[in-house]
Amino acid sequence: MEHIITRKEKLNSADFVMDIVAPEVAKKFKPGNFAVLLTIANGERIPMSIERADGDKITMYIKRLGKTSSELDTWKVGDSFHKVIGPMGTAPTLKKFGTVIFASDLVCGHAENSALCRELKKMGGNHVISIQSFPTKDDIYPEKELSKEYADEYILATEDGSVGRKGHYLDIVKEILEERRVDQVFAGGGIPPLQKLSDLTKKYNVPVMTTVRQIMVDATGMCGSCRVFVAGEQKLACIDGPMFDGQKVDWESAISRLAMFKGKEAEAMECYNEKIKELK
Amino acid sequence: MAIQERVPMREQAPEERIKNFKSVPLGYSPEEAVSEAKRCLQCKNPLCEIGCPVRMKIKDIINYIANEDFKSAFLLSKSDNAVPGITGRVCPQEEQCERKCILGKQQKAINIGKLFAFTADWAQENNVVENIQIEENGKKVAIVGAGPAGITCAVDLRKLGYKVSLFEALHMAGGVLQYGIPAFRLPRDVVDYELSFLEKLGVDVKLNSIVGQNIDFENLRKEYNAIYLATGAGAPKFLGCAGEKLKGVYSANEFLIRVNLMKAYKFPQWDTPIICGDKVGVIGCGNVALDSARCAKRLGAKEVYILYRRTKQHAPARIEEIMHAEEEGVIFKEMVSPCHMTGTDDGWVNGMQLMKTKFEGVDKSGRKRPVKIEDSEHIFELDTVINALGTTPNRLFLSKVTELETYEWGGIKTDNNYMTNMDSVFAGGDALTGGSTVIEAMGNGRDAAKNIDEFLGSK
Ligand SMILES: Cc1cc2nc3c(=O)[nH]c(=O)nc-3n(C[C@H](O)[C@H](O)[C@H](O)COP(=O)(O)OP(=O)(O)OC[C@H]3O[C@@H](n4cnc5c(N)ncnc54)[C@H](O)[C@@H]3O)c2cc1C
Ligand SMILES: Cc1cc2nc3c(=O)[nH]c(=O)nc-3n(C[C@H](O)[C@H](O)[C@H](O)COP(=O)(O)OP(=O)(O)OC[C@H]3O[C@@H](n4cnc5c(N)ncnc54)[C@H](O)[C@@H]3O)c2cc1C
Ligand code: SF4
Ligand code: SF4
Ligand code: FES
Repeated sequence: MEHIITRKEKLNSADFVMDIVAPEVAKKFKPGNFAVLLTIANGERIPMSIERADGDKITMYIKRLGKTSSELDTWKVGDSFHKVIGPMGTAPTLKKFGTVIFASDLVCGHAENSALCRELKKMGGNHVISIQSFPTKDDIYPEKELSKEYADEYILATEDGSVGRKGHYLDIVKEILEERRVDQVFAGGGIPPLQKLSDLTKKYNVPVMTTVRQIMVDATGMCGSCRVFVAGEQKLACIDGPMFDGQKVDWESAISRLAMFKGKEAEAMECYNEKIKELK
Repeated sequence: MAIQERVPMREQAPEERIKNFKSVPLGYSPEEAVSEAKRCLQCKNPLCEIGCPVRMKIKDIINYIANEDFKSAFLLSKSDNAVPGITGRVCPQEEQCERKCILGKQQKAINIGKLFAFTADWAQENNVVENIQIEENGKKVAIVGAGPAGITCAVDLRKLGYKVSLFEALHMAGGVLQYGIPAFRLPRDVVDYELSFLEKLGVDVKLNSIVGQNIDFENLRKEYNAIYLATGAGAPKFLGCAGEKLKGVYSANEFLIRVNLMKAYKFPQWDTPIICGDKVGVIGCGNVALDSARCAKRLGAKEVYILYRRTKQHAPARIEEIMHAEEEGVIFKEMVSPCHMTGTDDGWVNGMQLMKTKFEGVDKSGRKRPVKIEDSEHIFELDTVINALGTTPNRLFLSKVTELETYEWGGIKTDNNYMTNMDSVFAGGDALTGGSTVIEAMGNGRDAAKNIDEFLGSK
């Protein structure tokens, strides 16, 4: 099966969206699942959240960050992945919660925001509040890529207040929790804010499910690289997660472990830049 | 008459080989193989064969080698073993075939493993392949997991005429042979060559297929006449102690998968990185621990310690591995037991608290039991810790198929015919035993193939 890219568009200066042909993944996708991308036969196994499944295609939001994602950003419509494996992970159980918030501040979080809000809305019986925050006006995604249309209430925010509400999603969630009853919070994106959000929701006694991104190697539960400590127990983000009860996650180790390969990632990026220079 | 010692195996010198991932033994030349084979007494009652879990026809194979008929030697070895070049390199021969050899222990017994590795390599160089006629019988079997057990079962059933689909979760077939055992022990061209036989036979190898995750188990049950589960025991065990969250602490599986499957030793040409410090401590003393220690040496670690609660004489690792590790400068710190890891303020491991041990009585298996000596706690400085405490059955599949009966420790339950509690579903290999050897897993796969054939034949 050829995993051809059928659409690639810019989301902002660093993020882009891709539609990829992956019928098997699309058929089984549940909101909250991710996929593992192999760019070439010998490449890394890269975990990536799935924003939606439509027919035989899946959509992903990708941030240009290190070597692999920078390489991906040079790919065009018509190029294809060696393999797209999935859906992976355990999708969260969705039900009629009542009032639900999904908050996100970063690429993978925005993808999950759309995926889950769309599903919650479709199920009916939920009042869905979607909050997306971006650093500034230029970072905001094009309107059709925001989760606005899936939410009963939609709040767009920028940290500098250049568009929409001023502040991070944390500020907005706090306001809402002060004002009214919320039955369930979901969130994804940057890890440090997720820790703060978990503390916040605990204070208001509202359950929260958060995406705990960790470094993955095989993504099949065989290496333990993605271990997360939840309520004192060791879990694997690749098969048990990546969504966990944020109030029970050991965030300190999650944040620390995610940065384990920082130095090496910079090295890979340097080597990639050298190669690009040579090619030019 | 004194018994001649075995023809010595030429090896890469330790100073050289710790700089590369190439095979340590250089292999017999045809002349060396023939002289080694000629030492065999061609016993009337070849005890060596009783020592081999798949009962290879060792005596006759060696006889062919002695007579320089390498082709017949190879073809005969293939009749009982789909991957003789692999087992010749990784079997614990000193516990199996060679242990029973009448010529005596170690340097006296025939070097059966290396002779079989020689014939397999010779066959590869000379393009000798088995000629197999398959009579299709129209029945379909699905095999889950392409490790030694799954591969053997696939080959045997295919030869009997079944249509076989082999589902593998990873992007390469081989199981531990691919992701676990390092290339300096088992060169990947040997693995690739011996596994290419699967496709030649017409086994449909489906990579990236995680049964229970992206492949539906219920659908397999509808589509296939029988299923063989050989999902292995790849889930890492952790100590469950303080400090396991620290950066620089790996499970042996993670360390080895990064190095062997993802080729982290070729980083940054290959994408997956690994961080191996200067002072590495490996907990445990089995093959997995030694493989990790020897990889760490090759990644440039200055000091590599094996931390073991017994002495190396009591270790489960192959003797050859222990010898090779010592030659390479791996240091054995014996009679210590790990308590917990200590770390820096920014979350990197910087040491391990150990306790000394002493022997006291024997355990259930009859081995001397190590017990911790009170008040012997001390901190041992390290900047990388690799946990090689063993593994448990892969739980992804098991957690999705709750109907399947398992033991509390995760092993799949079967009857004497390798049949599980689910109709037409068989299981074997490490998923059943919790971990053994390549050849035991293969023997398991072979027995299961026979049972599956009987089961489907009678249907
Ligand atoms: C469940 C999950 C969902 C994800 N969803 C998305 C998504 O929707 N969009 C997106 O852009 N990114 C997502 N990521 C992160 C993505 O996998 C990494 O950003 C990507 O691998 C970066 O590769 P790189 O070579 O460009 O950068 P690198 O330089 O290798 O890494 C940059 C940063 O990415 C993270 N990272 C690197 N390798 C991995 C890895 N193997 N597993 C997890 N994180 C890693 C680390 O935090 C690292 O500091 C997700 C990660 C996980 C675990
Ligand atoms: C580092 C290391 C060194 C070793 N050294 C030796 C040695 O020198 N000599 C020796 O005899 N033995 C050695 N062993 C032990 C030996 O390798 C194992 O006993 C043997 O590989 C078990 O074979 P298996 O087929 O049961 O499982 P495995 O080899 O573990 O294969 C299982 C396969 O199933 C796949 N799988 C799992 N779940 C699924 C799923 N849901 N869907 C699809 N596929 C799935 C896995 O990806 C894997 O490829 C070593 C083991 C390790 C880890
Ligand atoms: S399969 Fe292993 S035990 Fe059997 S003869 Fe070969 S090396 Fe010896
Ligand atoms: S026991 Fe030793 S000497 Fe006898 S047949 Fe076997 S290998 Fe040869
Ligand atoms: S990525 Fe290896 S266990 Fe999760």
